[in-house]
Amino acid sequence: MTAAGLLRAVIFFGALTLLPFVFGEQWVLNSLIFTLMYVGLASAWNLLGGYAGYPSLGHAAFFGVGAYAIAIVFENSVGSGYPPFFLLPLIGLATALLSVPIGWVAMRTRADVFAIVTITLLFIAQTLAFNLRAVTGGAQGISVAVPPFPVETYNWPFYYAVLALLALAMGISFYFRRSKIGLSLSAVRADEDKAHGVGVRVTGVKLIAFGASVGLTAMLGGVWAYYVGFIYPQFAVDPLVTIGMVLMAFLGGRATLWGPVIGAFILVPAQQYFAYEFGASHVYLVAYAAIFLIIMLLLPRGILPTISDRLRMRRRRRQGAQAKSHGAIGGAK
Amino acid sequence: MPWSLHALVQAVILGVLTGGVYALMASGQTLIFGIMKVVNLAQAAFVVLAAYLTYSLFTLAGIDPFLSILITTPILFAVGVAIQWTLLRVLRPEDAAELSLLVTFAAALGLEGLLELVYNTTFRSIQPGYENFSWTVLGYQVNMVRFFAFLLSLTMLGLLYLILHRTKFGRAVRATVQNPMSAQLLGVNPQRVAALGFGLGAATAAAAGAIFGLISPFNPGSHYDLISRLLTIVVLGGLGSIGGSIIAALVMGVGSAVVAALASPIWSDFAFFVVLLLVLLLRPRGLFGARVRGAI
Amino acid sequence: MRLLKLCTTMAAALVVAGAASAASPPVKIGISLSLTGDFADPGKAAQRGYQLWAAEINKAGGLLGRQVEIKVVDDASSPDQVVTNYQNLITQDKVDIVFGPFSSLLTIPSARVAKRYGYAFIEPAGGGPKVFQQHLDNLFFVQPAPVVKGGDVFADYILALPADQRPKTAAYAKLDDPFAAPIADYVKGRFEAAGIKTVYDQTYPSESADLTPIVSGIAAANPDVVVSGTQSSDAFAQVKAMIQLKFNPKWLFMSNGANSPTEFPDKVGAKNTEGVFSSSDWYPDSPVAGNKEFIAAYIAMYGGSAADIDSTSAEAYSAGMILEEVAKKTGSIDNATIIKTLHNGAWHTLVGDLSWDADGAPNGEYLLVQWIGGKMLLVYPASVAQHPPIAPKPAWGG
Repeated sequence: MTAAGLLRAVIFFGALTLLPFVFGEQWVLNSLIFTLMYVGLASAWNLLGGYAGYPSLGHAAFFGVGAYAIAIVFENSVGSGYPPFFLLPLIGLATALLSVPIGWVAMRTRADVFAIVTITLLFIAQTLAFNLRAVTGGAQGISVAVPPFPVETYNWPFYYAVLALLALAMGISFYFRRSKIGLSLSAVRADEDKAHGVGVRVTGVKLIAFGASVGLTAMLGGVWAYYVGFIYPQFAVDPLVTIGMVLMAFLGGRATLWGPVIGAFILVPAQQYFAYEFGASHVYLVAYAAIFLIIMLLLPRGILPTISDRLRMRRRRRQGAQAKSHGAIGGAK
Repeated sequence: MPWSLHALVQAVILGVLTGGVYALMASGQTLIFGIMKVVNLAQAAFVVLAAYLTYSLFTLAGIDPFLSILITTPILFAVGVAIQWTLLRVLRPEDAAELSLLVTFAAALGLEGLLELVYNTTFRSIQPGYENFSWTVLGYQVNMVRFFAFLLSLTMLGLLYLILHRTKFGRAVRATVQNPMSAQLLGVNPQRVAALGFGLGAATAAAAGAIFGLISPFNPGSHYDLISRLLTIVVLGGLGSIGGSIIAALVMGVGSAVVAALASPIWSDFAFFVVLLLVLLLRPRGLFGARVRGAI
Repeated sequence: MRLLKLCTTMAAALVVAGAASAASPPVKIGISLSLTGDFADPGKAAQRGYQLWAAEINKAGGLLGRQVEIKVVDDASSPDQVVTNYQNLITQDKVDIVFGPFSSLLTIPSARVAKRYGYAFIEPAGGGPKVFQQHLDNLFFVQPAPVVKGGDVFADYILALPADQRPKTAAYAKLDDPFAAPIADYVKGRFEAAGIKTVYDQTYPSESADLTPIVSGIAAANPDVVVSGTQSSDAFAQVKAMIQLKFNPKWLFMSNGANSPTEFPDKVGAKNTEGVFSSSDWYPDSPVAGNKEFIAAYIAMYGGSAADIDSTSAEAYSAGMILEEVAKKTGSIDNATIIKTLHNGAWHTLVGDLSWDADGAPNGEYLLVQWIGGKMLLVYPASVAQHPPIAPKPAWGG
């Protein structure tokens, strides 16, 4: 890890950790909880859609799995308020493991067929959430018991939970980049058949990406359900949540560490601000679509890679100009 | 549940008539996939757009929905060409695989947002006064609008067939579908074929939209439910085979009507999603289709 | 000497003036409404009701001498946004009072936020069973009864009929929605207990565009009475499907949709409304005290006619009325006082006199209306009916 990278991480997480003590207004924390949740979701999606190159349009299904898991277990009581947080890692792990067969079968397809498969999974998950009324409460929704946190610091536990999950997501993302797994994944992303032919453990690596991605998504879904306190099928398994994740990862730059973070930090506060101040959310869909299209047409690789590309080109041009001037001086001898 | 032969036959009649309409909607999407290998997630939004245009033409100018198809078809054609020309054509080939799906979805969202701005989210329906009339045939009710819609779908599908098999443009399209490289070598302009083909696919949504608006109440968000059905039909029938998608549409129409009438409405679409999933995973080409890019 | 007196008088006058304006800062009321998204139409109707109430009360001198300022924010019909909105309203804008958003879906998450900060939650639109199962003592639903009892008065009417005139078989067609389905289920409970056989009982998904297969299933079962738990567009779709399939039950009750004075005849055709039952809490000809003044003020502010007024506006206005009455009775609009006071006694509103149990569920009854001669009339109970109910249902107009 470079010194610059380490510094960035320390500043970022340090600032976020200390924030409640310095500027801990409840409404600020509320906004940050949703923002950081999306940062985490975008980073989690990035593991599969970015690094592995399998663009899932159905991640919201796993978000819903985590949400309902928490709601079903803690519908009537949450004890001291902390048990749901302790259950989260178990939910993440269970989702990751149970999703392996799904991922194994789904990832036998590629690109747009894979996307359609994931969309179908989303519809199936949503239909089950609606129809299995005895378990999920169906369209009536299901509640999560209210935790006995004191009013002044009510949002704190949720804030730190989301922050921790974000750190985990970015940690995994970082690990992917630096390890053999990351190398294998970029080979898969570039040309899967060739990678397979060269001997890369394609299936294993894809499944690790899939499991990690959906496990994180499920955990974030669990925190969300606990925070909002009452969930419904159409919001727990919501195609727009997936679109949000995908858009943020695209905007900031897929297959990068900080790309999804940037993307989420731009889009989520902007959308909240517009909705609250101007009530202009009938423009929300058009704006979302417009941003999506602009990114894909002008910044197809996202903000971060485009910036680093430009910087690199400028550096190269400058070096080339210097070399030319040196050469000229030298050549004029 | 009231299992009787009468109920079953009535449901089948309903399903066939509805299936015909879905066949028309799906044919456009199948065509687009065949030419450009793009799954057009905006097809349902085109249908909803056409429904709104038909609605406005009817409420503002009193034009009968079936007649307004003559006006809405060229409009939808233009919309299709415009979207292909501005959004899809400019994608770099290496990105096109994943991005075209997202681009068409973004186009669908954009259309939904625009319709919401103009019409807001109130449910609308087109009511020329005759929409509830049914003939009683041998004790079964056959709704007049749906029957004419079915005939209209057959006509449009027939027209599509004629265009594809009897015109120069149609031959160029089919050549591009079968073998893009050879087609190009023979002088077919792939850009033009792609743009006009997308336009043609969008144009089929015009008639489908008029019918959709007559049959059920709609609002800008109606495209989500519709696209899930269209995807199922198009994939089941074979991404690229229009004949296959017609059969799949009829099967889906009848199947879902029978389940909804005689068993449980909340599960009527579920079986199709599961079947779709199985088909995608076991036979990614669909039941009748040509080879699909992106599947093994 | 005189100068000093003048100065002190002036100073005193300034102090008094300053104290007077400092003592009457405006009352800020925060409300999150669905101005866009799925619930936009009723959301805007609610906004009109609130703003009308605020205008009226400010004209009359304000609430306890203080002018009322309403801040409405849009939640785009999204639960995440509604939680954010109430957190912002309460902790950032520091409003004095909040009223509830539109729909049960959004009511529960936002009521919890209000409860956390000790705010009273007077809300005109969240009345599904789960709302009251949350046991929120700060919540007060501004309608005559929990929504689940919307069909109760229809059941009262049917079960009061002599046994030989009652229906023998019943069908229940329900929208999968927190508001709609429970109403039909509740009626089913009462009907089955009285011996009316259930021949059809199905729920349909909320995005169902085409209800003809479902209605053909109902028709095949040939029930005497059809009880539909509906919202608006599916109610219209059900009626149209029945016309197309030439199915006409002897009694047809639709919990929603058929209670809209302008939309129902508009969407299904004026000749097709005859004989359809529904339930309502407010309608323009309601004889409740204050209704005529409300209608006049509404038309003065927004134009149109009485028939254009959505009952959601009346419910929102009623929320304001309740606050006004608490202020008058206790001289205070502090949240703790509001919560304590409203749990006792009955409070007059445009939707009747309301009183609540510990969970916020109102203790009254809805009104049974039926379309007769092209108009929506109150038909039961007989003591307040404008016209006796007609049965069996006349044939469809086509």
